[in-house]
Amino acid sequence: APSDAPPVPTQIEGVNRGDVWQAVRTGQTVGVVSIPDKKAAVLIQSEGEAWRALRNGPLSQYGSWVLGGIFAVLALFFLLRGRIRIDGAKTGKTIQRFNAFERAAHWLTAGSFVVLAVSGLNLLYGRFTLLPLLGPQPFATLTHYGKLAHNFLGFAFILGLLLIFLLWVRHNIPERHDLVWFLKAGGLFSKGVHPPARKFNGGQKVIFWSTVVGGGMLAFTGVQLIFPFSFATLAELQLFQLGHAAIAIVMIAIIVAHIYIGSVGMEGAFAAMGDGQVELQWAREHHSLWVEEVTGEKPGHHHSHGTPAE
Amino acid sequence: MARMKFLCDAERCIECNACVTACKNENEVPWGVNRRRVVTINDGKPGERTISVACMHCSDAPCKAVCPVDCFYQTDQGVVLHNKDLCIGCGYCFYACPFGAPQYPQAGNFGTRGKMDKCTFCSGGPEEDMSEAEFKKYGRNRLAEGKLPLCAEMCSTKALLAGDADKVSDIYRERVVARGFGSGAWGWGTAYQTKNGQERDQLRERKQGQ
Amino acid sequence: MLIKKSAVAAGGRHLSRSLSQTVGAVTGATVDRRAFLRGSGLAAGGAALAATMPFGMVKKADAAGPATAAAGAPIKQLKTICTHCSVGCTVVAEVQNGVWIGQEPGFDSPINLGAHCAKGAAVREHAHGERRLRYPMKMVNGVWTRLSWDQAIQEVGDKLLEIRQKSGPDAVFWLGSAKHSNEQAYLFRKFAALWGTNNVDHQARICHSTTVAGVANVWGYGAMTNSYNDIQKSKALFFIGSNAAEAHPVSMLHILKAKEQNNAPLIVADPRFTRTAAKADEYIRFRPGTDVGLIWGILWHILENGWEDKDYIAKRVYGFDDIRAEVAKWTPAEVERVTGVPGSQLKRVARTLASNRPGTLVWCMGGTQHHIGNNNTRAYCVLQLALGNIGVSGGGTNIFRGHDNVQGATDFGVTSDSLPGYYGLADGAWKHWARVWELPYESVLARFASKELMEKTGIPVSRWYDGVLEAKENIDQPESLKAMVFWGHAPNSQVRLPEMKKAMEKLELLVVVDPYPTMTAVLSDRKDNFYLLPAATQFETYGSRTASNRSVQWGEKIIEPLFEAKTDHEIMYLFAKKFGIDKDLFKNIKVNGNEPLIEDITREWNRGMWSVGYTGQSPERMKLHMQHQATFDKTTLRAVGGPCDGEFFGLPWPCWGTPEMKHPGSANLYDTSLPVAEGGGAFRARFGVERNGVTLLAEGSYPEGSPIKDGYPEVTMAMLQKLGFDKDLTAEELAVIQKIGGEKIGAVSWTTDLSGGIQRVAVKNGLNPPGNAKARCVAWNFPDPVPIHREPLYTPRRDLVASYPTYKDTKSWRLPTLYKSIQDRDVSKEYPIILTSGRLVEYEGGGDETRSNPWLAELQQDMFVEMNPFDANNAGIKDGQMVWVEGAEKGRVKVKAMVTERVGRGVAFMPFHFGGWYQGQDLRSKYPKGADPIVLGEAANTATTYGYDSVTQMQETKTTLCRIAAV
Ligand SMILES: Nc1nc2c(c(=O)[nH]1)N[C@H]1C(S)=C(S)[C@@H](COP(=O)(O)OP(=O)(O)OC[C@H]3O[C@@H](n4cnc5c(=O)[nH]c(N)nc54)[C@H](O)[C@@H]3O)O[C@H]1N2
Ligand SMILES: Nc1nc2c(c(=O)[nH]1)N[C@H]1C(S)=C(S)[C@@H](COP(=O)(O)OP(=O)(O)OC[C@H]3O[C@@H](n4cnc5c(=O)[nH]c(N)nc54)[C@H](O)[C@@H]3O)O[C@H]1N2
Ligand code: HEM
Ligand code: HEM
Ligand code: SF4
Ligand code: SF4
Ligand code: SF4
Ligand code: SF4
Ligand code: SF4
Ligand SMILES: [Mo]
Repeated sequence: APSDAPPVPTQIEGVNRGDVWQAVRTGQTVGVVSIPDKKAAVLIQSEGEAWRALRNGPLSQYGSWVLGGIFAVLALFFLLRGRIRIDGAKTGKTIQRFNAFERAAHWLTAGSFVVLAVSGLNLLYGRFTLLPLLGPQPFATLTHYGKLAHNFLGFAFILGLLLIFLLWVRHNIPERHDLVWFLKAGGLFSKGVHPPARKFNGGQKVIFWSTVVGGGMLAFTGVQLIFPFSFATLAELQLFQLGHAAIAIVMIAIIVAHIYIGSVGMEGAFAAMGDGQVELQWAREHHSLWVEEVTGEKPGHHHSHGTPAE
Repeated sequence: MARMKFLCDAERCIECNACVTACKNENEVPWGVNRRRVVTINDGKPGERTISVACMHCSDAPCKAVCPVDCFYQTDQGVVLHNKDLCIGCGYCFYACPFGAPQYPQAGNFGTRGKMDKCTFCSGGPEEDMSEAEFKKYGRNRLAEGKLPLCAEMCSTKALLAGDADKVSDIYRERVVARGFGSGAWGWGTAYQTKNGQERDQLRERKQGQ
Repeated sequence: MLIKKSAVAAGGRHLSRSLSQTVGAVTGATVDRRAFLRGSGLAAGGAALAATMPFGMVKKADAAGPATAAAGAPIKQLKTICTHCSVGCTVVAEVQNGVWIGQEPGFDSPINLGAHCAKGAAVREHAHGERRLRYPMKMVNGVWTRLSWDQAIQEVGDKLLEIRQKSGPDAVFWLGSAKHSNEQAYLFRKFAALWGTNNVDHQARICHSTTVAGVANVWGYGAMTNSYNDIQKSKALFFIGSNAAEAHPVSMLHILKAKEQNNAPLIVADPRFTRTAAKADEYIRFRPGTDVGLIWGILWHILENGWEDKDYIAKRVYGFDDIRAEVAKWTPAEVERVTGVPGSQLKRVARTLASNRPGTLVWCMGGTQHHIGNNNTRAYCVLQLALGNIGVSGGGTNIFRGHDNVQGATDFGVTSDSLPGYYGLADGAWKHWARVWELPYESVLARFASKELMEKTGIPVSRWYDGVLEAKENIDQPESLKAMVFWGHAPNSQVRLPEMKKAMEKLELLVVVDPYPTMTAVLSDRKDNFYLLPAATQFETYGSRTASNRSVQWGEKIIEPLFEAKTDHEIMYLFAKKFGIDKDLFKNIKVNGNEPLIEDITREWNRGMWSVGYTGQSPERMKLHMQHQATFDKTTLRAVGGPCDGEFFGLPWPCWGTPEMKHPGSANLYDTSLPVAEGGGAFRARFGVERNGVTLLAEGSYPEGSPIKDGYPEVTMAMLQKLGFDKDLTAEELAVIQKIGGEKIGAVSWTTDLSGGIQRVAVKNGLNPPGNAKARCVAWNFPDPVPIHREPLYTPRRDLVASYPTYKDTKSWRLPTLYKSIQDRDVSKEYPIILTSGRLVEYEGGGDETRSNPWLAELQQDMFVEMNPFDANNAGIKDGQMVWVEGAEKGRVKVKAMVTERVGRGVAFMPFHFGGWYQGQDLRSKYPKGADPIVLGEAANTATTYGYDSVTQMQETKTTLCRIAAV
């Protein structure tokens, strides 16, 4: 036998096992699998950990602050400002603000949004709120139907969104007088201040664009989540999910404010989306330029109230 | 109580897929659902290694943390199980799981993924041990029968070890010593072992460090 | 071992009980198997369903029904052997009321210690039988129609008899199977003999025939010398042309143990970087078809440095100087020119092998499937002889065999060139077997067309279609083949499928006896005279099967035959009755109803298989071994205590003498460190005592305890008389010997003495019945006495053809066989890529069984071709794209490209397990309804080409040429 023989086997060169494992653990090395599900080739999906941390951590936490916050702000606002009344004397006359189709579009959007929001929030917070109240099985049942509703009503929401956009986009192009509106904070904090506005005032334009942009983003991310892996990778889905939830929370906050103003917060507002007929005086106060457009009436002309003391 | 763990010795795993078919056999897992899978890295090149992966039954399990209906539970042997009656098939556990363990019987369009299925460490689910209902929903309950997971028991090369964490690591340590060089293993070193998330932090640090 | 908790006390498997309750509920009172099948379908579907149903609505088990007869029925644990590969893993089946409800690891088996590969871990699925052939079918005007067994036997039988009448018995080809148990294989060979033909063969022809012939011609027996377990003792592991990780996965249990425990270097020589190579310390990539050059290249360094075992060679090896002369030509430069491997690497390999002894050498199909396959196998043997590695534990040529019982089927002579036990076909062989069968020799002779044809090698399976297509006058038998019976054999495993398709269409009768329809059912465009008969699998019957390591294991019946399937031996009985040969065939075999008694068949072969030592393995002993598996040592295979104390597991042959003699079997062949009575041995004195004045017998080497401290020839009566041992014979033994020998009693030998007396006395006195010879490096009866390299028939290296040409065209095995005329045609420009083929772990053989098993089929859903990125880029092919692979004889397959460095530049690889597609066409609709495999794909062999081993007619499936183009 040879004397110069090495007692230890020669290793295949070029492979540092440590590096290989390091790469696997950090998700840089993706393997291969023979099954068709190619996602299965990822050995360690470290992003999942980050996703979990963000969702269960800051997202839920800040989200709850935002949601709690908006209600607190509105409550405070109500306490301070009370219901915003029609300042001038009611005329008894109404004008048509939104036709049936527009209203239908609004309620389609609004109705689906509310269900989406509630069912969505349930996914995020139900476990900590409803679950202890209802018990596992009823809560699971509820959540399951909530999820179904969420997944299907999403499309109703998208349709409504589309209609709203088409119907109202031309009224929502930002204009110079919107600046004035914003400078005066829309008169929301002071009685009798009514900056001029066309069909939609600055604040409403904000609502409109938040709805369109936010809703669009929710729609985009939501559709990705409904068809997982059809268009997006896992990492993208994780981002979309976080985005979806974050946008949803911000939107919910905005819309809660909108709902407030559109209902209890302002006298005469609801009618616009109720039967579509608004009190002429309300319209004069909040949408003077629009009234002028529709009726030829000069803005400010019919302010029966004098300028208030201030 | 023994703490159950898997460990896959990559120096031994030969990608024979016995663990995968054993699992199908024992649990009658339907086509398309892969409770266990075998992944090859550096396929066809020097340094090729294969690893068999299933749910690692993490302590502080990410899946459990994100489940909207809180349907996971961990047995006192450390096995992470879930309740299919509660599961709404949302897919969050898959997003969170570091090992891609959760599986769904359907592709997932329109939210119809179906009830999540994953490795149970061959220990069934919340139903009565070894009952028919348990078998139909979760497969066999070998632990209750006094046996260990079939995937590991049938592994062609004993690469895949399953059982009491201490014993498994003893076996593995012995091998590493015999080999004379450190070696890749897939086990709780990679899973999230500690309750306080130390491992996770280390992992994150390492990632950031790059 | 894993920590296995003690099983729960009796009645622990509530689950199984309730499972059969479901079944009971489905079927009413009793549980029959078919109901189970439905039930289990439900269970499987149920799991899927439960998984998709909304929360809270998971269907409650329909088992809630009243307790049935089934409830609480005991669960039986039955043991059998995996039906896939030659490792021979024990399968433990849990059966309740005839229903196979669970599979447990066979921890007690010393061979697999509970382990399985994907196939073994999925065998229970076979009991579901979803895609099985359910009842006999025949093709009527191109449509599969059902018929009864009775009708089937009558119709097929009549047609066969008619063909026999018209064209002679040799016009029918009986293609047997390595899937048959030993009993069935033996019966099949006898059945063919009584039909009157040698046109009988099985998978071994296209598998290890070159090993069997090559190795047997070196040292006596063509089999794995040691065992999978013995590899644990190896200090070096050299794999050439074996991808054990995929083809013999559980062997890796032992291999990796050696690697870890002994720090044994693992060297893998293979054109592909296989999964076995992935575990190697040293990987040698070389050009397919250049094994001889590679081995001589290693041996060159060994001889150059004087690392060979000179003492061993002197005592136990004949003709080594001729090897030296040939090896001298294989300088590192020449080796690199031919094989592509640099000399420095081979020097390192040589040194590793030389300094880590004993080492084992493992080969498989990479070595055998070549037109010089027998040269390859002999070259491997010579390397091991040079290192002194044969006949020692930890050494050996561990030839990993193929199918679960290919070793047995080979041993039992399901081949066109031998009767059971390698007795050959000569007059003496027939007389021996006629004596065993207790039939007059003349009556057997009368079954044949002539004595000449009776003693003439038949047509091999690799060439059967040439036997159909070749003009009558070119064939050495009266008529070409008219009928083909595939009895447990797929068609897509043979090369040149386009030719086979033609032949199938030309036949007068085509019959398949198989649990599955196989690709035979769809390949041809036949419209009639085409039958499919459902056979039972080995789970539906019982009997013995021989693993690669020669251990004979007894498998129990797990379930009753599914649907209308019948066991092979029953089908043989039905045909025998139809042919009127049943009385002869079953003369000493009891037949219950239509089912011949397996144990009687075993006892019959026990009485005749002297030449291999298949005589000591009685059914009782084999059953005892299976029952007491736990008592056998997991490395040595020897029982420690218990009822089998001292015996080797499965009584690996040779197990000399009668069962009563209690020979322990031989774990390692030719092992002189043990007395013959304890499993020791020596090289067989098969080739005479001397050649050209040089002795062929061992010199100064002998089994422990031998009375003769030197070589000696095969043991005969004369030899016993000379040594005075004949006095030890009993009167009964002597009477038998006298009866056989007549006048020439001295000529009665260890192989022909039916009493076993000669073996008993020889072994008792320390003699090795087959003698004590040298291994020979020169097989002077072969075309290439010293193994030499010859370029493949289809080679891209035209520059080497002149120096390493193939053979001249010739006629062999009743058929013209081409060599030179094929090689002379230079197609290397049009077909520049070497095409090789092989296995995937999930599928087996033609794949009909495994591709019908959803647990396996899910894992490999696409037929593919592996090609190097270099070649792919040149051809503009991307990974995953569909491509045409066209073989050098124009057969084309449409497959997915898998671009990988697993194969080297200029080499492509395809797995051969797919079928059901033909040249781009999906033939699914042609299967009998419900019997189409889940996964279909192109058969690699549509693209493979001509080329047959010069000794055995092995097909050249590992090297041809092809071109690959995007679809
Ligand atoms: N999963 C599975 N296991 C099986 C089987 C199966 O079908 N599937 N079949 C069983 C049977 S029947 C058999 S015979 C065995 C076969 O077992 P193996 O022979 O180990 O399997 P193969 O893949 O056919 O071939 C082995 C290797 O030969 C290499 N090779 C190709 N050309 C050459 C060459 O010219 N020289 C050398 N030295 N090597 C070359 C191939 O790259 C391949 O890696 O497997 C048995 N086990
Ligand atoms: N290109 C290429 N071709 C090759 C090879 C290669 O490497 N490359 N390898 C070759 C080798 S090594 C081999 S061994 C062959 C294998 O090829 P085949 O032996 O033709 O393939 P299998 O599909 O295993 O065939 C076995 C058949 O027996 C049936 N069967 C199973 N059990 C039973 C039973 O109990 N009774 C009966 N009657 N039938 C049963 C199965 O259903 C199956 O149809 O292929 C060869 N062909
Ligand atoms: C459920 C309670 C809701 C009420 C009571 C309500 C009420 C109203 C009213 C009264 C108007 C008309 C304001 C006007 O006359 O100018 C309006 C407009 C509008 N609403 Fe709602 N709404 C509700 C929910 C929603 C939701 C959920 C969305 C969107 C997600 C939405 C989006 C809009 C938009 C874009 C407009 C036009 C711009 C605007 O007036 O601000 N509304 N809503
Ligand atoms: C535009 C259509 C929308 C689609 C297609 C959609 C879709 C989805 C989907 C698929 C999920 C994942 C949960 C699951 O699979 O069951 C989800 C979660 C959620 N959605 Fe939506 N969604 C839409 C709109 C909205 C809207 C309008 C809101 C609320 C304003 C919202 C709030 C949420 C919230 C809070 C979650 C939970 C996030 C979490 O649990 O981390 N979604 N949505
Ligand atoms: S591996 Fe995935 S599914 Fe299993 S416990 Fe960990 S996070 Fe959950
Ligand atoms: S898919 Fe099921 S188990 Fe997973 S997080 Fe969703 S509800 Fe929980
Ligand atoms: S432990 Fe059981 S369920 Fe889990 S992968 Fe293994 S066999 Fe499947
Ligand atoms: S059975 Fe064992 S060796 Fe085979 S793939 Fe699974 S872990 Fe690896
Ligand atoms: S195919 Fe071979 S290695 Fe796999 S389980 Fe069966 S016998 Fe064992
Ligand atoms: Mo084979």
